[in-house]
Amino acid sequence: MKESTLLKFLCYVSIPIMIFVLVISMINVSITSQYGEMQGPEEYVETEEFGMEYLETLIYNVKAIKRDKQQIKEVGENQTISYESATEYTTDTSYRYYREIEDESYAYPVYYEVENYNNTRISRYINYIIIDKENGNMFTNIKSNNYPEEINKLKTEKTNWNYQDGNIATNIDSINEESAKYFTSSYNSINNFEGYEIYSNINPSTLTYSNSLYIQQVVYNMFKGHENLPTYLIPLSTILLITMIVYLIWATGHEKGKKEIQLNSIDKISYELVSIVIMFVIGMVMSFALASIESQIPQKILVSVFLLCYLIGYACLAVWVSTTIRRLKAKQFIRSFTTYKVCRWVKVTIKKITDKENSNRKMTILYWGFILISMILACTMWSGIGVFVLIAFWIWTFYKLLQYNKKVQKINEALRNIYEGNPNVKLNEEELEGTLKIMAKYINDIAGGFTNAIEQSLKSERLKTELITNVSHDIKTPLTSIINYVDLLKKQEINNAQIEQYIAILDKKSQRLKKLIEDLVEASKVSSGNVKLNMEIINLKELLNQTVGEFEDKLEKKNLKLEMDLPNENVRIKADNRYLYRVIENVFSNISKYALEGSRVYIKLEEQKDEVYLEFKNISKDKLNISAEELMQRFVRGDKSRYTEGSGLGLSIAESLTELQGGNFKIDIDGDLFKVEITWKKEH
Amino acid sequence: MYNILVVDDDKEIVNAIEIYLSQEGYHIIKAYDGEEALEKLKENEIHLIILDIMMPNKDGLETLQEIRKDKTIPVIMLSAKSEDYDKISGLNTGADDYVTKPFNPLELIARVKSNIRRYVDFSHVNYATENTKLQKEKVLKTGALEINDETKKVMVDGKEIKLTATEYNILKFLLKNKGKVYSIEQIYENVWNEESYGAENIIAVHIRHIREKIEINPKEPKYLKVIWGIGYKVEDIK
Repeated sequence: MKESTLLKFLCYVSIPIMIFVLVISMINVSITSQYGEMQGPEEYVETEEFGMEYLETLIYNVKAIKRDKQQIKEVGENQTISYESATEYTTDTSYRYYREIEDESYAYPVYYEVENYNNTRISRYINYIIIDKENGNMFTNIKSNNYPEEINKLKTEKTNWNYQDGNIATNIDSINEESAKYFTSSYNSINNFEGYEIYSNINPSTLTYSNSLYIQQVVYNMFKGHENLPTYLIPLSTILLITMIVYLIWATGHEKGKKEIQLNSIDKISYELVSIVIMFVIGMVMSFALASIESQIPQKILVSVFLLCYLIGYACLAVWVSTTIRRLKAKQFIRSFTTYKVCRWVKVTIKKITDKENSNRKMTILYWGFILISMILACTMWSGIGVFVLIAFWIWTFYKLLQYNKKVQKINEALRNIYEGNPNVKLNEEELEGTLKIMAKYINDIAGGFTNAIEQSLKSERLKTELITNVSHDIKTPLTSIINYVDLLKKQEINNAQIEQYIAILDKKSQRLKKLIEDLVEASKVSSGNVKLNMEIINLKELLNQTVGEFEDKLEKKNLKLEMDLPNENVRIKADNRYLYRVIENVFSNISKYALEGSRVYIKLEEQKDEVYLEFKNISKDKLNISAEELMQRFVRGDKSRYTEGSGLGLSIAESLTELQGGNFKIDIDGDLFKVEITWKKEH
Repeated sequence: MYNILVVDDDKEIVNAIEIYLSQEGYHIIKAYDGEEALEKLKENEIHLIILDIMMPNKDGLETLQEIRKDKTIPVIMLSAKSEDYDKISGLNTGADDYVTKPFNPLELIARVKSNIRRYVDFSHVNYATENTKLQKEKVLKTGALEINDETKKVMVDGKEIKLTATEYNILKFLLKNKGKVYSIEQIYENVWNEESYGAENIIAVHIRHIREKIEINPKEPKYLKVIWGIGYKVEDIK
């Protein structure tokens, strides 16, 4: 049912008819109770409405004359106001032009009303003569050569109303002497006539109904003979109206075969525009209709004008109400406001601008926006609220700046974490906006990349270590046989010096191979950090003495003299004692292998401010044609090939182990001087 | 005549070990995997087992577990696996010793001897100590290391060791306070009863000498241990 176009159309058409029926029924009820039947103008003259209008017109005239009199006084009493110099005098309600004319039968100046823009309808039908008793000036709209006679005519002819010496003489019942008592208070008017004589009449046959009365009369005539009809029509039309309106509200927007609310082209226009246009049209039509009641347009077309206005107004209102309802139903109401669209556009545009990577533009907009808003608010300072709003705005801006700074701090912290080698950071990008959001994204990506790379490299180092360890197992088994059988060969009595020499070489090389494999495994483990450390407080001085004890015979064999410079106090550091020994052992082993025989070896242990400093110095037996860095690299030895002892991994292992335990291992080569410097954080 | 079961999947290694140990007068029984070793163990009276870890059929550790279910005979693990982790797991499973490949034949022989002496002789040693109850207070010992302060004799695995007077005093002090760690300075002050000014590495040298005499492998000492950067101690072994 709600999809029926026909039904809706019928409703739209019926509603104005129903309203019309309802309104004329109600008008009819009110006029029949007020006036009963009216035949013509003669009856109209009898009505109170006519009386009131008549009196009102006279009051306007007197008020105007009072004003004019003031003006005349200012010009000068002896001067006359000629036709040419007729002045426009304004009163509260009307415009009048007077011209002074001469009448010999009257001793005082006579002012003839040339033009009158009085807004009461009846004024053009009233003939009047008003005499200012103070100076005898006469004001009139009757053209005559003998005004005293005209006064007499007015007193007697037709329907008249006269005021002389404070008494009313009239044949209009509604405003006679008797009724004046009642209306003076409400109009506060009869008093205005004091000091004036007023003579006036009206010819009822020239009079037409007032427009409203005319319409009432038309309505009355329509129901003539069916006076009871409105009693039924009012409730019937009311019920029908309500039903149809409710139906339309319910059904509008629904169309056959479509689930959603259907919007037509009007519904898509800006709501403000539609509302303004419709309101404007309705306003125009209404004021035109109202004006036409007061106006002098022929009453024959008045009804048509009225109906036309009514229909246009209705159509506009119907369109407006129905589009409003459809918009509401489709949940498009707020969105169809142009204001809303503009606000959205502004918001989106601001966001677009602030989201840009170009933070300079954003800063510019924000900064000048701040200044502008501050200035606008400052301009409203005169009102007390402006100050508060301005201060609130400043505080809000400050708060926003703090918040922004907080976010920057977060990003800074994340960057510091990455810088310090802890890339496990994750910034919440949703919390941030604009440039910061982009920064957070980049940081997250970088951190992710780092974490990945570190994991990858750790994994590959671990795999390498595992590989080396496993391979070393496989190498060690045949090596065991080699070493053992060489050893057995050595024990055989061979009376051949050459074979004995060969065997000695085999023995030496197989031992070297063994050492190489062991060092290789250790180096790969240490460099990949695949070592479990058991950190404790260690006395480095004790350790040095112990190590010296271990190497005493080896050093002695090479005739190396130790020059030790140790502090008297114990030197404490935090380390894993076994791995620390490996470090010192490797350095000693290196010295015992590569130091120049018969030279001195200097060992210095020193406690500095926060660090412990350990230094080994010795003279290399061979020329060190290699940099310290190269020397530290695995498998690179001071002399690339000449030596057969060791694996070349000792110093590299020592360095890795030192660093694993938080120390620093450095080699320095100065000519033949070979220097190892180890520093450690001091432990108290 | 003691029977030693040598288990390794590498025949050459088994043969080499046979040569070395036969020269010392041991009888060698050979096996090339865990299963075979367990069979040989059932068939023969075995006094010591040298057991490889990485072997087909049944690996060394599994075999050791089987053996330890009902036998206390000494087992020396012989493996190319030299990680701390491997040694610890071997010893925890019940091995008496752990020798890594490639091994030093002399070390292996020494360990075999030490383990056999302890395993075989200790069953008789009890009487001996009963008889010398009077001297008991004078005897300091840990594991198979003992010092008789009366006779000034130092014995390891029942074998006499010759130490110098200084070495003897240092060892005696440490053995008397076995299980405790002493720094060089403390050892010096206790043994010499005077300040150790400048004499630190002399003590360290002495201790190395002691280790070289009493230990099978001075680099991996069993009795006199070096706690690097802290001091020395004699392990308290029952």
